[in-house]
Amino acid sequence: MLSTELKSVGDASWRKDGLSKVTGSEKYAPDVSVDRMWHGRVLRSPHAHARIVSVDTSAAEALGAVCLTYDDVPKMRYNERIVSTPPCLYRDRTVVADKARHVGEAVLAVAAPTEELAERALRAVRVEYAPLQVITTMEQALKDGADPIHDTVLLDGKDVPIRNNVAVQRTIDVGDVEKGFAEAELVFERTFRTSRIYHAQMEPKTVTCRPEIDGGITVWCSTQSIHNTRILLGQIYGLPLNKVNVVKVALGGAFGSSIQMNSVTPICVGLALKAGRPVKIASTREEDMHDHVRYPSQITLKLGVRKDGTLVAGEMRAEIDIGAHNIQAYPFLGGLGGFWASLYKLPNMKYSGRAIYSNKTPSCAMQGFGAPQAHFAVECLMDEIAHALGLDPVDYKLRHYVGLGGTFWGQGPASKCIIRSDGVPELLRTGAEKIGWDKRPKPGSQTGRMRRGIGMARGFHTSGVGHAKASGAEMIDYSGAIVKLNEDGTLDLIQSLMDHGGGTNHAIAKIVADEIGVPGHMVGISPCDTRTSLYDVTTHATRGVYAGGAAALKAAKSVKAQILHWAARVLDVLPESLVIEPDDNLGQGVVYCPNLAERRMTVGDVARYLHINSLGTISASESMRQVNCPPAYVSYFVEVEVDTETGQIHTRRAALGSDCGTVVNPALASGQLVGGLSKGQGYALIEDNHWDPVTGELASKGFWVDGKTPSMAEAPLADDIMTHFAHTYEPTGPFGAKGVGEAAKNPAIAAFANAVHNALGIRFYEVPITPEKVLAALAGQEAQQRDTSKGRARTAPAPVAE
Amino acid sequence: MKKQIVRFTLNGTPREFAVAANDLLLNVIREQEKLTGTKYGCGIGECGACTVHVDGRPVLSCLKLAVEAEGCEVVTIEGLAQGRELDPLQRSFLDNNAVQCGYCTPGMIMIGRTLLDETPNPTEEEVRSHMRGQLCRCTGYASIAKAVMGAGEYETKAFRMPAE
Repeated sequence: MLSTELKSVGDASWRKDGLSKVTGSEKYAPDVSVDRMWHGRVLRSPHAHARIVSVDTSAAEALGAVCLTYDDVPKMRYNERIVSTPPCLYRDRTVVADKARHVGEAVLAVAAPTEELAERALRAVRVEYAPLQVITTMEQALKDGADPIHDTVLLDGKDVPIRNNVAVQRTIDVGDVEKGFAEAELVFERTFRTSRIYHAQMEPKTVTCRPEIDGGITVWCSTQSIHNTRILLGQIYGLPLNKVNVVKVALGGAFGSSIQMNSVTPICVGLALKAGRPVKIASTREEDMHDHVRYPSQITLKLGVRKDGTLVAGEMRAEIDIGAHNIQAYPFLGGLGGFWASLYKLPNMKYSGRAIYSNKTPSCAMQGFGAPQAHFAVECLMDEIAHALGLDPVDYKLRHYVGLGGTFWGQGPASKCIIRSDGVPELLRTGAEKIGWDKRPKPGSQTGRMRRGIGMARGFHTSGVGHAKASGAEMIDYSGAIVKLNEDGTLDLIQSLMDHGGGTNHAIAKIVADEIGVPGHMVGISPCDTRTSLYDVTTHATRGVYAGGAAALKAAKSVKAQILHWAARVLDVLPESLVIEPDDNLGQGVVYCPNLAERRMTVGDVARYLHINSLGTISASESMRQVNCPPAYVSYFVEVEVDTETGQIHTRRAALGSDCGTVVNPALASGQLVGGLSKGQGYALIEDNHWDPVTGELASKGFWVDGKTPSMAEAPLADDIMTHFAHTYEPTGPFGAKGVGEAAKNPAIAAFANAVHNALGIRFYEVPITPEKVLAALAGQEAQQRDTSKGRARTAPAPVAE
Repeated sequence: MKKQIVRFTLNGTPREFAVAANDLLLNVIREQEKLTGTKYGCGIGECGACTVHVDGRPVLSCLKLAVEAEGCEVVTIEGLAQGRELDPLQRSFLDNNAVQCGYCTPGMIMIGRTLLDETPNPTEEEVRSHMRGQLCRCTGYASIAKAVMGAGEYETKAFRMPAE
């Protein structure tokens, strides 16, 4: 179908869940309550690393509480994120811990009729700990003789020893990197560091579990995948999947933190099964902040170039402090290397990544996964190389990026595809024009207190992790959808795919409406659960519209063919001669024969004909995997203003571009970019987490303001954030669409670092670029300038080696 | 803990609740009345998701004891629409696509409403100043600011929700 024929795709209708969200009637996991429900509370370790010597719950039980200890839970070790296939799945945790590995780790849990009584019972529990060495840095973890955080983990059914607290290592080699560097005329090498920030999703992780009379359970929880949660709960508690029902409820943000089954979910199920009644656990914000953070990174990137800037070789070494559990370090390391490989053409590359345990909050996916970290290193170093060679960074990047016809690594070496749509030149030219790229100052040329700078970075995220191979996948990637025609001509879309808030479900309903040929309001999104829906792996990797939408499109095609089949009978024409189009006046889809104008009926007429003649329900149930993982390109141009007296950096303007193929929800896609800027600004400039090096305690103690989530006051003025879209069509996507949301943040921190360089002439290789760091760097710059003016030797690091 | 009776008007209806001295207004609204549009986000006044109106002023219901509401007019997000008619700000949130995950939305609308009651056509600076204590992780705030600034346009235009 031509994009000009699309009616719902690309329109500005209200999102289907909008009305319930503005009126407060939308139900999220914390809003669930069921009859006879008790409340659960979790005892969390005050120690970062300790053996649990003894547990005494008798006083809690005397208060009437039900307690769940390590002795009560299945001893099966699992990994809470079952997106990876078994050979890539590192299993290192149990429902409650056998040993405390970070402050805030769940040691046991209690349930009682009221939350207050549960809290009292929790305080009555006695736990004796034997503290072990607290490991908060990678250096400590790797040292010979360091206490092992995990002795072994389970991998594909085998117990694998963990040495020196190294959880996973991965290497990727392309070409001959030694030969490549031998050909290089200039070599640049820098080390970049990013922080372990908190997701700060608005909804703290919450779960309710109701045991059913048949021995099964019903669960309502914060999750990005109801089906993966169901499979895991079935495995852990030995329940057949037809007795585990996980219900889809709205998600109050997650940003990756609920790709895995959240830690409270299996605990709540254990309590409910033991208590024999429904139990709800609502995490406090403090608990939530101790439960999940972003993967940090320490990346040393070395690039060899010819004098004209052509890249000939690259080497990247990444070290990742994953905290107390290995949730998805293996795909993270693969993704990081793959994203690097997909940014610029590199004939020879060597990548090595290492993930290391520590006694800190476990790291997990957060918007962009390993991409922001890779983008930070690559986009900043490319900017530095361009400056060193006297090239314009935009031109330089356009000359060497991986684009149309190139190979894109969707998320590591196992998911690759040929790039078939590429809006990068349009994105960069438009962004440069909107921000006034050509008028930006020379780096370091300003002298006043307030100094402005413009920086740019580009990049992408993958759209899903589809690939062509029939077996040997590292990750599961498929979606399902059911579409059915109701007796009045309206349609129901039943899909377990979770919407993070970006409008994914709304977008997919539009795709279904346009494929069949009915107005958008005719397609409703059904409430569903794991019993009534098909499997969907999880909403991650910006795959919702691209992969989930494609599955729904497949079902819609089948429904359309059936409508045409029956309409053709009634109208006495061949089905091939009929078309269906939305009729705004009728508010219906109309089936008609262009060659015989009088042969027409509404989709509602078809449905009623089927109904009164008992001919059955038109429906389709389809499941599919995309065999591609196209890049959703994105471009960032930001203008910052640095206050050289306070060190504060203000974001003044931004021009953000997205190549998401056909834009299904224009205003919502734009909203993804603006939201990405806010989170990216926080990541680049202010957000951070610190753990006490002695106690391993989170320095913020779980106070959200100390996580420094940006507020409205820190955002640029609304009209100073400009967004634009590339005019592309992804041939493998539903109606030409690919991903958008995750990409929206990926180049942000690099763009901010480059903008600060433009303002001050100083490069920062670590985020957040806090006021303290800015002031220290300015003082260093001043001292250096004094020395230079006095003719002393320069001590600043030279940017170019060899 | 011993319960006492607290009386206040909730969304226009005089009500009585048996509450403990330490019960929070947030919990009474959510758990006793099952009005779950008012959200728990942090419990200590950091995020604004629990904002309700008490006598027309924005109040963080996670920091307000239920007994303090004695004799007050309490309005939650569920009480903002008049019958089937949306508040202009609710409509403006929809038209400006100021809703993503929606978890902060009720609190945002409630505090935005109190600004509009005093300043029907606020500037962006006024909106930022009034709403700086409200966190949203999805939108980046621009659409929310525009929704509040633009709400005045809807004051005279009614929008009715689809029939029950």
